[in-house]
Amino acid sequence: MAAFLSLAESQRRIAGYLNRFADAIARQDGATLRPLLAVSSAASLLPLADALSNFSDSSRLVSQSDHIAQFAEILLPLLRSIQSHHLGRFAEAYSSYEKAANAFLQEFRNWETPWAMETVQTIALEIRLLAEKGDRELASSGKSPEKLKGAGSFLMKVFGALAGKGPKRVGALYITCQLFKIYFKLGTVHLCRSVIRSIETARIFDFEEFPVKDKVTYMYYTGRLEVFNENFLAADQKLTYSLARSDPLNMSNMRMILKYLIPVKLSIGILPKMSLLKKYNLMEYSGVIDALKTGDVRLLRQALQEHEEQFLRSGVYLVLEKLELVVYQRLVKKIYIIQKQKDPDKAHQIKLDTIIKALKWLGIDMDYDEGECIVTMLIYKNLVKGYFAHKSKVCVLSKSDPFPKLSGKPVMAS
Amino acid sequence: MMNQGGEPGAGINPNSSEVNYVGQAHAPSNPYLTSAGPQLWPPPQPPPPQPAPNSWSYRPENSNTHNGFPSNYYYEMQRGASNQTHTQTGPSTTPNMPAQGYNSTPYSTSYQSSTMDYSTGFYGNSYGNSSSLQVAPNQNTGASYQPPFQNSVGHTSSSSTSTTTMSNSNTYYNASGDHQNTASTTPSYQSSGNYYQQASQNYAYPSSNPSYQHQYIQPYYYYNQTAGGPSVGTDATSSVPSGAGHGGSYMGHGGAAGGYSSHPTNQPPPPGTTSWRPDAATPALPPLQGIGATGYQTQYPGQFQAYPPQQPVNSAPALDSLFASNNANQGNILYSQPPNMHVSSTNQFQQASEIPQLPPPPPPPYTVQMPDMRQVQGGSHLHPNMVQMPDTHQVSKIQIPTNPRIAPGLATGAVKVDRGSISTGGLAKPAYVSVSVSKSDTKLASTAEDADKGAFPVSLKAYVERSFARCKTDVQRNANQNQLKEVITKATTEGTLFSKNWDLEPLFPLPSGDSTNTNNRLDSTVFSSLNKEKRKSRWEPIEETPEKKVEPVSNTTNSGPSNTRYNRPEATPKIDGRNWNTMIFVKKKQSNFNNSGRGRFKKQKTNVFIRKPTENTDSSSDSDKERELTKYYSSAISLANSPEEKKKREHRSKRFDKRKMESASPNNSSSIVTRKANAMLLAKSYDDNNGPDRAVEDIDWDSLTVKGTCQEIEKRYLRLTSAPDPSTVRPEDVLEKALEMVQTSSKNYLYKCDQLKSIRQDLTVQRIENELTVKVYETHARLAIQFGDIYEYNQCQSQLKRLYAEGIKGCDNEFSAYHLLHVCLHSNNKRDLLSSMAGLSIQSKQDDAVKHALKVRSAVSSGNYLLFFRLYKVAPNLNTCLMDLYAEKMRFEVVDQCVKHTGPDHQ
Repeated sequence: MAAFLSLAESQRRIAGYLNRFADAIARQDGATLRPLLAVSSAASLLPLADALSNFSDSSRLVSQSDHIAQFAEILLPLLRSIQSHHLGRFAEAYSSYEKAANAFLQEFRNWETPWAMETVQTIALEIRLLAEKGDRELASSGKSPEKLKGAGSFLMKVFGALAGKGPKRVGALYITCQLFKIYFKLGTVHLCRSVIRSIETARIFDFEEFPVKDKVTYMYYTGRLEVFNENFLAADQKLTYSLARSDPLNMSNMRMILKYLIPVKLSIGILPKMSLLKKYNLMEYSGVIDALKTGDVRLLRQALQEHEEQFLRSGVYLVLEKLELVVYQRLVKKIYIIQKQKDPDKAHQIKLDTIIKALKWLGIDMDYDEGECIVTMLIYKNLVKGYFAHKSKVCVLSKSDPFPKLSGKPVMAS
Repeated sequence: MMNQGGEPGAGINPNSSEVNYVGQAHAPSNPYLTSAGPQLWPPPQPPPPQPAPNSWSYRPENSNTHNGFPSNYYYEMQRGASNQTHTQTGPSTTPNMPAQGYNSTPYSTSYQSSTMDYSTGFYGNSYGNSSSLQVAPNQNTGASYQPPFQNSVGHTSSSSTSTTTMSNSNTYYNASGDHQNTASTTPSYQSSGNYYQQASQNYAYPSSNPSYQHQYIQPYYYYNQTAGGPSVGTDATSSVPSGAGHGGSYMGHGGAAGGYSSHPTNQPPPPGTTSWRPDAATPALPPLQGIGATGYQTQYPGQFQAYPPQQPVNSAPALDSLFASNNANQGNILYSQPPNMHVSSTNQFQQASEIPQLPPPPPPPYTVQMPDMRQVQGGSHLHPNMVQMPDTHQVSKIQIPTNPRIAPGLATGAVKVDRGSISTGGLAKPAYVSVSVSKSDTKLASTAEDADKGAFPVSLKAYVERSFARCKTDVQRNANQNQLKEVITKATTEGTLFSKNWDLEPLFPLPSGDSTNTNNRLDSTVFSSLNKEKRKSRWEPIEETPEKKVEPVSNTTNSGPSNTRYNRPEATPKIDGRNWNTMIFVKKKQSNFNNSGRGRFKKQKTNVFIRKPTENTDSSSDSDKERELTKYYSSAISLANSPEEKKKREHRSKRFDKRKMESASPNNSSSIVTRKANAMLLAKSYDDNNGPDRAVEDIDWDSLTVKGTCQEIEKRYLRLTSAPDPSTVRPEDVLEKALEMVQTSSKNYLYKCDQLKSIRQDLTVQRIENELTVKVYETHARLAIQFGDIYEYNQCQSQLKRLYAEGIKGCDNEFSAYHLLHVCLHSNNKRDLLSSMAGLSIQSKQDDAVKHALKVRSAVSSGNYLLFFRLYKVAPNLNTCLMDLYAEKMRFEVVDQCVKHTGPDHQ
């Protein structure tokens, strides 16, 4: 604030804010109430924050009239939080906000209608954002960032308040999604399980009742969890659900979903068009896809190495790595096709020597034992039908469908 | 004890009570004690002069309480609180005395006797000494006092009551070996004759456990006396709060003369208040008390000083008035008044109120069955004597005929004597005790005086340092500084700067600007909570007790910190024991006795808590904090109230005490010990209570860190179930040798594992985290890998990960390779694998071992068994060993594959 704020003006602003707050609750006006609690995002709170730094005795204003004072437990920490946030002290802002949020939740429990649902959701969002900011602040000052964890446990409380029977339960999924975000950020993904269980097994929740945006988010996160577990069919189903209901114009959301859906699809033998990769800027997968198309093991390895850090961070590295066998299958199939063109009769017998040679052209040195190992593994995983004659070092392919397609099924787990 | 008691008894013989003391076995003290004891007891009965016998004979009287005498007060709860209450009673009695004409002397005598008991109980030998000290005071002051006692009913009315209590306490000691706790406290008191002199506070210390008991007893006595003496009743009431009572008495002492003399003086108006405060402090103290009697004692003095101002406000006035009225009415009135008093010190008040009921039966001395406090009453007079507290077990039913005579003068005289005796007490067996005692004596005496001179006490400096040590940010530091200023200014204005035991003074909460008041708030909350809920256990007070203790320590520190340390540990265990006994007794007694008596005790206990807060209550302003605190305390209280919790805590505190006693070396500075004790208590109480708000911040972990003294290289691993004992912990240089020994040893893995675990334990306990630590963990991890002990390996690995992250150098590449292998081969947790792979730096990826591990991982994930076994052959370090564990599984898979893939000619 460049201009000096008079004391009276400050007082007026604060009083105005307090009155709006109390009135909104009195009128059960969620739309008015919501922005009043959006500490970190609402620009409308800026003048208030200036006023607060100018006028220190806001608690007196709060206690002045009864209709405001009854919310003192919410308002006092809330004002502190707004002020701290304005001053860039996020850890403090978080702590105060959590107090205010707790008090608000207490009130919310007593309101029978879910008119304040939006407000609660705003609080859930704000508390997460504040916690993240606070943690960044704490980490930079060398202290252990623990605010996000605290936000997680607060949100569990909110979830508990919503997850009962009644009209409030539709808000539960939003909280769940905020929880997912926190858990994924913290790396404590296992904590998601209890929330998922209560969503998926509780009869009070009819999943389709929830708002679409929450359903999409929920499916996205549970899909990611399935990717971690290498449970590709479930992951495919969830991520596809999420993708289908997302706004195709929201590029970043689409991209986030595709980031996981593409590796999943690759694992079950479905390759995306390059235009898709280009559209959503997912070109890191292009090398992998090319390798799958051409059977170029070297290309796959290069692609993995090139984007290793990225893939490791997003958690798809291991999934992509597993594609190597599919690439080998492609390579053997290519050899088989070439042999068939030359000599259809002997096409189903592939000498190990040939495979080793092909790999050598790709720059991969492999001896016979190792080559045999690869081939046997292909057979074992049902990527190749046939058998390997150990003595003569020949892989004998089945005459019918020697290279079964994955066609929606993942490679057999080892 | 018996022996000592016998000796003292002989000396003390004049008073039958002496016998009791004798029983305690304090030769030197015995005389005093005996004198006191005799006074008390003789009147009623010519107790056998012999200490033990006497004491026992007293017991019969006491046994009334114990045995079911009518006037038994139940100190069950009191143990902790009761002790406090006892002290309070002491003070309260004193106040009454003045008003009634009970003369503080009786009190002093009783205190002395109580101290005797305590000393005997705790230290056995030392006790004897301490008791002698106390006795001495009694004799001195008490020559006259004794007569009063004698005059007074067997217990010697006011003074006698106190004496009776003393005797009772003695008996208690004799009866209960557990008394040792109290005894320990007493010794300290004795030893810290200065303490006593300086402030009746000292009394409070002992009282924390024993003294409280004493106080209780005293009240009873008083009641009996009041029967002869309402005043007694009042005393009792005051004592009832026990914790508070003791404190009160202590306070009174401290406040009045800061010494024994203060007792008498205190007894009048100031004392009462002071005493009450002490009580408040005491309630909190109980746990602490358990920890270290001496520490407590010292702390108490400090507390007293601090308390006097505050306490007066709460309890003191009321008590005084009550006492006065009691004096006037002799008990009847007093009893009624006590309730009022209770407001401040609820426990005591309640007791007082109960007492009124009891008064009717006054003739039969109210044997306060103080489970914990043998005989607090004596303590009340002689807060120093309060030591008797331990005796509470004996639950002396002090038949206190009214001994209004007990004059303050007696107390003073007693104090002086105590000093002398203190030295003797110091002599008493445990080095701890003795050390602390002696130091405290001289120091105490000098400290009080020195304090006036104006230099900041060492303990205060330490306190300031501690508070700053917690600050992590500049903001905190500033806040801290401001708060410190407030605290010190306040202390200065209150005149408690030097008397306060800064070592025990709890640190104010950092974040809030109200830091200064936090303690107060806490106290106040405690009070309120106490008022609301009767504490069933003495445990509740524990939290506060540490603080109080701390204060005394500061005082003592000047003289001798070591005492406090020693005392604390000892005291706590003792207390526990007492508590148990008392519990039992109480139950029995309660059943036997009037309900009213019980109720009183409970109330008193609550009061005790309240009192502590009194100090700061005025200042506390933050409603939020207060609320939080109240919640916290109330929850703590409720927790503490559950019998199981009590037991557990008792056990725990016992352990601490024992260890400390064993391990504590005389050389250690008392402040450290006290801090440790405090921290432990705090930690314990927080643990127990799940105290949410300030739990972690307030625990001074540094003070908990042990410094090992053990020089043996070999040590078997034993899982610690209690606080570590420095004498069994090896210092770093020895650990290095031990590691070397393990590395070069030709023994089997199991032996090495055991040795390494004990090394790890010693490192952990001493919080050593350096390259040696890393080396130990690495050694163990390697051995575990070689042996295939994945469980141990996992433990080491997780520690190593943390240590490496802290920047301590080691073979981190080697171990990240192990970690990779372990995750991909054994745990098969995809996310762990991903995160550990993502966590590898570029440099470590260049490392051969890590490269190898990565290759193995990819071989496994792609099922390339050939590559796996080839890598197996060339594995660096111990990678082979980890792969070994997986090899069989791999082979089996290969066979599976081969069966499926090989051609018809192979099938």
